[in-house]
Amino acid sequence: MRCLTQPLLRRFLGLLPQCVPAGLSQSPVLGPKQSSLKQSCSARPGLVTAIDVVGYWQKVFETNGIPETRESSEYIVSFVLGAKTFQSLNSEKLRTPLTAVQQEQIQQLCHRRLERMPVQYVLGEWDFQDLTLKMRPPVFIPRPETEDLISLVLEEESQKRREKNSGLCFSVAVPHPVILEIGCGSGAIALSLLCKLPQSRVIAVDKEEAAVDLTKENAHRLQLQDRIHILHHNVSYGSAKQLLLWGPMDFIVSNPPYVFHEDMASLDAEILCYEDLGALDGGTDGMRVIKTILALAPSLLKDSGSVFLEVDPRHPDMVENWLQAHPDLLLTLRAVHKDFCGKPRFLHIQKQSR
Amino acid sequence: MRLLSRALRAAHGCRAAALSARSYRAASAGGSAAAGPCQPQPRRSLSGRPRLDSLFATDALSRLLEARASGEAGPALAARIQRLRDKEQELRDTRQLAGQDESEDLRKLAESEIISCEEEIAELKHQIVLLLIPSEETDNSDLVMEVTAGVGGQEAMLFTSEIFDMYQRYAAYKKWKFEILEYFPSEIGGLRHAVASIAGIEAYKYMKFEGGVHRVQRVPKTEKQGRIHTSTMTVAILPQPSEMKLKINPKDLRIETKRASGAGGQHVNTTDSAVRIVHIPTGVASECQQERSQIRNKEKAMQMLCAKLYNIKLEEETKKRNSVRKIQIGTKGRSEKIRTYNFPQDRITDHRISRSVHHVESFMLGEEMLDEMIQTLREYADYESLMEIISENEK
Repeated sequence: MRCLTQPLLRRFLGLLPQCVPAGLSQSPVLGPKQSSLKQSCSARPGLVTAIDVVGYWQKVFETNGIPETRESSEYIVSFVLGAKTFQSLNSEKLRTPLTAVQQEQIQQLCHRRLERMPVQYVLGEWDFQDLTLKMRPPVFIPRPETEDLISLVLEEESQKRREKNSGLCFSVAVPHPVILEIGCGSGAIALSLLCKLPQSRVIAVDKEEAAVDLTKENAHRLQLQDRIHILHHNVSYGSAKQLLLWGPMDFIVSNPPYVFHEDMASLDAEILCYEDLGALDGGTDGMRVIKTILALAPSLLKDSGSVFLEVDPRHPDMVENWLQAHPDLLLTLRAVHKDFCGKPRFLHIQKQSR
Repeated sequence: MRLLSRALRAAHGCRAAALSARSYRAASAGGSAAAGPCQPQPRRSLSGRPRLDSLFATDALSRLLEARASGEAGPALAARIQRLRDKEQELRDTRQLAGQDESEDLRKLAESEIISCEEEIAELKHQIVLLLIPSEETDNSDLVMEVTAGVGGQEAMLFTSEIFDMYQRYAAYKKWKFEILEYFPSEIGGLRHAVASIAGIEAYKYMKFEGGVHRVQRVPKTEKQGRIHTSTMTVAILPQPSEMKLKINPKDLRIETKRASGAGGQHVNTTDSAVRIVHIPTGVASECQQERSQIRNKEKAMQMLCAKLYNIKLEEETKKRNSVRKIQIGTKGRSEKIRTYNFPQDRITDHRISRSVHHVESFMLGEEMLDEMIQTLREYADYESLMEIISENEK
């Protein structure tokens, strides 16, 4: 299993029944017991409301073993009705019968979901912090844990600001922070930071062209393109020098691939069939890219600059040991923060000041 | 009303004349059964002259003013009292001169001076009253509004949805920010329960009068026989505390999400972003699934939780103060029937002030008519608290 390359892994998983690619499916999509949507409607004959449709597709998803049946059905129906969640549809919208066009759209999107496409790709967008971002396969879909990574960077930034201003009776102009994001994917982290820190500038890199393009598209949609440089760059091979176009960094932020290679096969079909596995697979110990980032950090950071990483809960101890074995890097593990489920998930590593 | 008049009697010198039949006419419009002979006739502004003028003529108020002039609001109050006395003197002098003057031009001049004098006096009295009424700790807060369908099944839920929409439009009218935190619709387009946060200038100061039971009387859409039903819904208005006013220890909170079991992080891609937060010491909980972003759901759930906890704290504080006011804010007022929306008669009656107005449809647009009703309630509440303060001072 360890030596399975990505295409092989994919082919292997392609044999699993729930992962049948579109069009080739031999078994037709199973409807719920009462086969037609119109029959399953409680309201006036011929007219279907959002509630009817949600119930119908939920049953279809159940019958076909799709995970998160209710959520998937609700998100898709709300999206077609112009809302983000089912809970944010007002009673007016819930009451109004759906048009034929809307029903057709819902059906198309639900069929994609039946192929185990993640809801975020089905809709082509998802929210991260305050932003709505375009989502497109195979670019990694940001997970909710990562929203907390943003909060940690913001906390550190405001604390630095307070320290600089303390003991002074006038406030010193704090230079605008420069942030590097390694592995920007859809741009979620980089663009959220730009939004929350209006003085900041961000350099975002990714080794995949699809990710670079999507980050660029999202930056333009949010009109943040003036404070961001988006580079097609692989930190494992490329020269670090070209990242210093705005000088040394205040922060390096990354949600690097950190899944242990042996865990890869047990991931859900949604992930394995659609997401770029290179954004997840962290090698044998899940540390391959983490180590690359840490080895690079001293030459990119300002004195006392910080690295913020999202990692696997097994990583904090491993990273601490690794840093102790590499004292020449002058990096210290400052803090381990837990995610909202109480798992140690985020590392704050600081460059020692000389 | 009985309680109010007791407060009035306590204010020695503030005789019944101060609330003459003229100023307290029965609400003429609408034929509300509750309208008795001593119901107040609401006025556009607190400077409604007969009431305030006679109040200012009382010894009780003079004694209160004297007592307060040395207090906290002293300088501002003293300055206005002095100015009021000067203006009153000026008015008397001008009146006397106008009476003596033979010249048409001069008399006209004196008359316009009298009018401007009277206007300033009314304004000063208004300001003095405002200085006398202590502002509540919560008055500048934002708020969380909770609506819940009451008696009456689907019809109550339809009405709840209409009331919720009315306040959403009212927030837009007042240029307040209105954000839905929770929304639980019913099958046929009604609303079981919803929560919204409302933020903006003086939002709580206005909205606090809307808490209580709202009643609707009409033929429901679901009714085949054409009978009139009575249904209810409840509005609760909770002030939103600032971080200064309410400190919560993060260790006291339990945050529940669907991702709690399993590996989390990159290993899973789930979309259920609902968040529930429990405050362990009190057991108070709140949840939100309004947003696709989990952190936004967490923020909104936290906002609701804070409002709930703050409200509990405030209730405990005010429990000690045994108020006799007709216009109750908070829990005391929540179970009270405050307003009826009668569709067959196209009438809305606020039972606290026995005021009736017509045109339910325009009222429910959440614009001028609702605003005027709330304005009247505010004035009435101000007047009541002034009466309370006067009677306190007389003890």
